[in-house]
Amino acid sequence: MASSPTFKLQRGSTGYLVYKWGGIALGAVALALVAFAFNDTGRIEVFDNDYTISLGRITKAVSFVVAILGLQVVAGFTGQLSLGQGFFFGLGAYVSAILVADYNWSYFSTLIVVVPVCFLVGMAFGIPALRIKGLYLALVTLGLAALFPTLVSLSLVADYTNAASGKSVTSKFVAPDWLPLDGIAAVLQGIPLIGDWFGDGDLSTSEASKIWLFILMVILTSICFKVVSNMVTSRPGRALRAIRDNETSAAVSGMNLALYKTLSFGVASALGGVGGMIYVAETGIASPNDFTQLLSILFIVGLVVGGVGTLSGAVIGGLVIVFVPDWASSTQSLPGIPERWLQGPTGNLILGVLLIVLTFVLPGGIVSGIRKLRAKIVVVMPRPPGRFDAGPGKDVSAPITADAESEALAAAETASAGSAEMSKTRTTE
Amino acid sequence: MDFNLLLDRLFLGLSNGSTYALIALALVMIFKATTLINFAQGEFAMIGAFFVFVLSVEQGLPVWIAVFLGMVISALAAAGIERTLIRPFDPSDHLPLVIITLGLFLAINALAAMIWGFNTRAFPALFPSGNALTIGTATLSWYTVGVVFVTFATAGALTLLLNRTKIGLAFRAVSSNLESSELVGVRVGPTLQFGWAIAAAVGTLGASVYVANPILSLEPSVMIRVLIFAVSAAALGGLDSVWGAIAGGIAIGMVQSIVVPYAKIPNELALGAAVVVLMLVLLFKPSGLFGTPQVERV
Repeated sequence: MASSPTFKLQRGSTGYLVYKWGGIALGAVALALVAFAFNDTGRIEVFDNDYTISLGRITKAVSFVVAILGLQVVAGFTGQLSLGQGFFFGLGAYVSAILVADYNWSYFSTLIVVVPVCFLVGMAFGIPALRIKGLYLALVTLGLAALFPTLVSLSLVADYTNAASGKSVTSKFVAPDWLPLDGIAAVLQGIPLIGDWFGDGDLSTSEASKIWLFILMVILTSICFKVVSNMVTSRPGRALRAIRDNETSAAVSGMNLALYKTLSFGVASALGGVGGMIYVAETGIASPNDFTQLLSILFIVGLVVGGVGTLSGAVIGGLVIVFVPDWASSTQSLPGIPERWLQGPTGNLILGVLLIVLTFVLPGGIVSGIRKLRAKIVVVMPRPPGRFDAGPGKDVSAPITADAESEALAAAETASAGSAEMSKTRTTE
Repeated sequence: MDFNLLLDRLFLGLSNGSTYALIALALVMIFKATTLINFAQGEFAMIGAFFVFVLSVEQGLPVWIAVFLGMVISALAAAGIERTLIRPFDPSDHLPLVIITLGLFLAINALAAMIWGFNTRAFPALFPSGNALTIGTATLSWYTVGVVFVTFATAGALTLLLNRTKIGLAFRAVSSNLESSELVGVRVGPTLQFGWAIAAAVGTLGASVYVANPILSLEPSVMIRVLIFAVSAAALGGLDSVWGAIAGGIAIGMVQSIVVPYAKIPNELALGAAVVVLMLVLLFKPSGLFGTPQVERV
């Protein structure tokens, strides 16, 4: 028997609302602090190795988070292992870069093209997926991902993509005047003890631009998360999970397999494209070697490390696949480890080993580990059936056992007249 | 159409196709038993070729003895990997296994780059230099003859191993029906381990003859593209057929060296042609040319 959690919150109760919105607010504050703190001074020293967590890298991680979110839809919820997410990431990056650089579009307006193009191309590759099951699909999509650098380097499209040298974009984000970034920075710098983390004085133009980019991309990412979370908790999402769990029985239950599978491919690819757009907005260049099949495999690493089939896993996954290789390549000496083991692609070795180890010890990814820990502190319970009066304002802290439920029912009957009426209607049913 | 050019390309297709066939054979040995694709097969083969390189160039062993020892070492390593990383999982649940092979792909690739660096190295010649045959201006090099010979000899040896030995019988039993073979007393674990070991040995041989090509050299990412060609070859031949892998490999080699130039497709897109072939095969004949069709029971 597991130790009972400290807090039990019922869905819809005040405690739950405080927990939920408090969590969201804390997250927003944390993001804002990150934005200002790591703008130029995010230096961490690990055994004499300077490592700078810059805001740019965090924004890059955000782009990977969106791509992994897409992978969650197709691999996590629909159970179609796709090794081709890097293809759509690259496609989105290139389409966006070309429109911004050659046609003077703004980054956000390129989404009007990026999303439908990636969605349709994804759907087109989802159609073979109807007949190709399981590992075969992984094979085809891996081929696709391996092909991408070659495709954009072809002389046929070199006028648009600049072939091997990559498509660079000079357009920058300019923070609007109404946003008091300098003011916020000044306030944060005034905080005792930790004020130093936020630099000195006003922000330079490039710092302000980085923060503005980060804020916009986090908002865009939140929208993507909301869309996906609505999708997976509604009818299509249930259909996708039914397909994942048993394709045949899903079909027998009347799901349109073809529709839902291609749809999930399309959504995943569109999210890959959005991720690519964020990537280009941050790095300012789309070059063929950034979008190899290694990237697609790294996305799978992110998916698994974060947790397959969990939306929050995408966040952890994106951070891991950006920061592990990054940190490993900036670490050149550690006590007790020969230096030759710290040179070269140490990050990929760590990620590969991490992938294998996690499959053994924590198959649900880091998120499942966090959830297990959280369950020891807070448990969110569904509303008990039939208790319509347990709205906001009534904190019900008893677990739903048979005893507790009858107690609660008894309590409800002696409550207000309205609720008594309710329970009466319930008993007459 | 220039006949000499055609012959030249035919020979090129034969030598490329044979190496794809060898890696495809390795994929088939693992797929046959467990319907699993080992995505790390190319990297297994690459690191095997590095073993051979170290043994022959750095330790000074005769090259074919080095190849043999390299095959033995990689077979043992693969058997160890199978025992520790693959066997703990349910063979019918593919997702964790594929994730393990992807992890191996990343780890082995990185490990090789960390040990040997990204510099290219000339691999010792496995076959005599020069040409065996000259027809007009077309030349058939000893390298091509050697590669084709090695490929067919390997497929022949594998066929004998599978059909004439006890472990081969057990392997065929497991690949035909895992549960039933377990019931009649076949030790499934060691049998699958045998499959992994053979696959790694064949892969090492394949990578060695591939990089022994005078125009190629050994470096950690050399097998990444080859894996795609090999996957395509294995699928074309039928993923569970030994001779199908050979036929598929040579067919993909021919597509690369004959169809692609004559169809005026840019040469870089040979990989694309392989992906298209793979997609078409899986779409219209998922069991490939010589494979066993999979029947699904509800």
